[in-house]
Amino acid sequence: MLSEKGQKNEQTPFRFEKNYLGIIKQPLFKYLLILLGLPVHMVTWLIYQLKYKPSSYGHLLQKEKKAVQQSPVYDQWIDRYEDQYKSKMHYFNKSIDEQEMRREARKLADIQAEEMAKARLSEENIKDAAYLPFFGERLRNPAFVKVSFIPGILMYLFLWGYSRPMLRYILERLVMTIFVIISVAIFVFTILYFSPSDPAANILGEAATMEQRQEFNHQYGLDQPYLVQLADAVKGIITFDLGFSYTGNENIAASIANKFPITLIIAVCSLLMAVVVAIPIGIISAAKRNSIWDYSFMFIALIGLSIPNFWQGLVFILNFSIKWHLLPATYSPNDWLSIIMPVMVLGTGLTASIARMTRSSILEVINEDYIVTAKAKGLKPRKILIQHALRNAMIPIITVIGLQFGGMLGGAAVTEKVFNISGLGSFIVDKQFVPDTPSILAGVVYIAITISLVNLVVDIIYALLNPRIRSQMKSS
Amino acid sequence: MTTQQEFALKQSQQYKNANFSVCLSFALTLLFLFNAYDFAQGTWNFVWGIVTAAYFVISILQGAIALLLKKDLLTYGAIQKRTRLLSAVQLLSLFAGNLFTAAFAFRMLKKKDSIEYTLAYYMFLTQFLVFAISLFNLFKPYVSNLFMPAMILLIFAMVIELFLVIILAKTDVEQGVKPLLKWLGIIVFLTGLTGNVFGLILGYSLVMKSRSNDASTIDKWNQFWMSMTNNFTAMLGFLFVFLMLAISIASYGTFVSSFATENDYGALLLEPSLAHPFGTDNFGRDVFSRIVFGARISLVVGLLTTLIPLVIGGFLGAISGYYQKSIDNIIMRCLDVLYAVPGILLAIAIIAAFGSSTFNLIIALSVGSIPTYARTMRANVLIVSNLEFVEAAKALGENEWKIIFKQIVPNAFAPMIVKASLTIGSAVIATSSLSFLGLGVEPHIPEWGNILKIGSMYLETNPHLAIFPGIAIILLVLSFNFLGDGLRDALDPKLDS
Repeated sequence: MLSEKGQKNEQTPFRFEKNYLGIIKQPLFKYLLILLGLPVHMVTWLIYQLKYKPSSYGHLLQKEKKAVQQSPVYDQWIDRYEDQYKSKMHYFNKSIDEQEMRREARKLADIQAEEMAKARLSEENIKDAAYLPFFGERLRNPAFVKVSFIPGILMYLFLWGYSRPMLRYILERLVMTIFVIISVAIFVFTILYFSPSDPAANILGEAATMEQRQEFNHQYGLDQPYLVQLADAVKGIITFDLGFSYTGNENIAASIANKFPITLIIAVCSLLMAVVVAIPIGIISAAKRNSIWDYSFMFIALIGLSIPNFWQGLVFILNFSIKWHLLPATYSPNDWLSIIMPVMVLGTGLTASIARMTRSSILEVINEDYIVTAKAKGLKPRKILIQHALRNAMIPIITVIGLQFGGMLGGAAVTEKVFNISGLGSFIVDKQFVPDTPSILAGVVYIAITISLVNLVVDIIYALLNPRIRSQMKSS
Repeated sequence: MTTQQEFALKQSQQYKNANFSVCLSFALTLLFLFNAYDFAQGTWNFVWGIVTAAYFVISILQGAIALLLKKDLLTYGAIQKRTRLLSAVQLLSLFAGNLFTAAFAFRMLKKKDSIEYTLAYYMFLTQFLVFAISLFNLFKPYVSNLFMPAMILLIFAMVIELFLVIILAKTDVEQGVKPLLKWLGIIVFLTGLTGNVFGLILGYSLVMKSRSNDASTIDKWNQFWMSMTNNFTAMLGFLFVFLMLAISIASYGTFVSSFATENDYGALLLEPSLAHPFGTDNFGRDVFSRIVFGARISLVVGLLTTLIPLVIGGFLGAISGYYQKSIDNIIMRCLDVLYAVPGILLAIAIIAAFGSSTFNLIIALSVGSIPTYARTMRANVLIVSNLEFVEAAKALGENEWKIIFKQIVPNAFAPMIVKASLTIGSAVIATSSLSFLGLGVEPHIPEWGNILKIGSMYLETNPHLAIFPGIAIILLVLSFNFLGDGLRDALDPKLDS
């Protein structure tokens, strides 16, 4: 027991080093690692600068290379490369250009000389001592790890997590998601910043005096330079403190918090409806391939893909509300009947694409060997279809759901406008007529964040479900 | 039923086509019947009643033909002459506007399926429809100055095409193209320039087959178009898209643009009639003319918002797929950022910043779909760049850019075409959605989303104002989707067997 523990302790620093060497190959993670262990790195960087910096490596390498170039081996190489060049030109029936030949031979020989010089140096145990490998060597030292453990705890957690395949995958995806979210905020802000329209003139009207405009610009920080405004905007998005909108003086974070739930509820309900309706349809179509059922379901699905949301909404209102008085035409929070039409309208496209995807992915697996085996074992067709085929066909279906969910949140603006729902989509559209830059920025970025998080969850589920990816992660 | 008979039935494309036409024809009959009866007053509309009756007769006839076909295939294993003659009667259904049965009748007239014959009769159908739609202008108070010459040209083109259909029905192009056909091919190619793209394809096919000795090129062409022409829904998709293209070009001569754009306060919100087939809107503008003129904008915006990201995304995808590692990482991470924002929202943000105009709309929608094209291209380039011929080109010391754009990209392009044809539909929907929100094309331009926006204000009193432009959008998007499915079946090697 004791010895096992001791062994583990001894292994830990080496594992840190191994993970470390893996991480510094990826640029994004390299910088993240430095950022996480910043206190430790600052100290070691100083030590490195003071003690180890006089790196004579480059100098030595040059010297060694010169030595190689003066040796007879080098001339042999040149001759060999020149011969190669001649026979190549002869083969292609091209004339020999002496100058080019010499240049090319020299270039190739130089490369080889450098490699040889490097090999000689490493034989003499002289290593390239850049900072990052230097730090890696420090990690091998248990005393260093112990001393730096508290200030560098974040970095060590990261290094530890990196060694578990599943955790590493989740970590990588998380880092990517954060990167994407911040970049989206910067990107959308930049687009809106470079808008040719002047918000002060738009909102105060043409009659406003110069002082009034300056006052307005000062109030909303529009007189600051680009980078300051950008930093403010990103900070505001992260801390949910976005200030006030240009018109109406409403708190943006509060109004988004008010409007987001209904948008999400409708989207989630549509998603549930789509899954419940579409997967059985897809299974039936695949099971009875080329039958009248298959043709009609797929034809209807294709029509479902082709109907614009707003037109479908209008036709529903015309029939269900105006002609037959079954459902209310506009949404009201207290009436659950009024949510039915928006959900159906928003879910139609998703239903159609899930049904088509289910059909095609089941058809792809239905001829696999394991299905034939299941048939040969005498399993019932229904069991084969649901337990064997659908389970394996599920992966592309989940991907489509994840992708389409984003499109649905984006498309919600149109549906919300048709049914007069005051959700986030119609908030953005209303604000863009002003145009009220901070509100648009916040609305678009929060929707993008939601979509990124949903995609993150989908990716993780995907990795958990898919044995192929799991084994790939373990072997890498 | 023996397996052999079953096989004959399953293999017969004509039988499938017949059944499909019966279904569509019946569906249309029911739709017209629904329209003919006024539920509120319990009365029958005379005009709709006649149309319904005509479609009912056509559907019954089509059903009889389908049954005969089945019997033929089961007893003789081949279609009999009697059935073909009966379906020739079905050609008359063209005058009732039933394309499905008419196209089927044309198909039955030739024993062996032929690409050129199929293209020819679809070309004729397109020209006929353009002519018929233009004829509605006769009910207007006046016609445009160019109306007569344009109509004469259309009739002339129709006669040539009918002549070509008859010739192609009697000859077998696979035996060799006669000089007469080659010259006809050139003429048809020229008429194709009026927007009837079937003509371009047919003319190219005839001229190529008469001149080219390269059997592999001809074989590839034949295989692709055989697969397309056999696919009834894909051909219907082609038909509608080319019809829209042809009508938007023909409308320069045959339609009066002031009916679509200028206000007429004497004719506000009229019900549909012969002079105004889809009624008039709140400014007295003729909705039918507006929809015809709107086809131009929807097509141009749809095509451009597909073409621009196709080129940019394809280029970026090819580069990042070929150069790997750092360049790949930089390009794909930047595109991930674009990918995280839904297309419509990104478009709204761009339009909020730069104002709503057609140009900004095209840019805004294009930017949003660059990442999907780049991903598709990258995935294909990754596969193709590991193949032997690329390695051979590298070994020969070929320039890297030449390797990418001459060797790899052409071989990785098929999925891009399929992707493009499937996304034109969503581009059309996105355009009209943004116009509907008031963010797209300028409100005075007759664009389908704009027409629908006006219609949505009169939903209770004049619902047809919202329904007709919506149907136009659906048909166009549906056609592009049919086309995309057909292209995928024709280009995807996985489904070859």
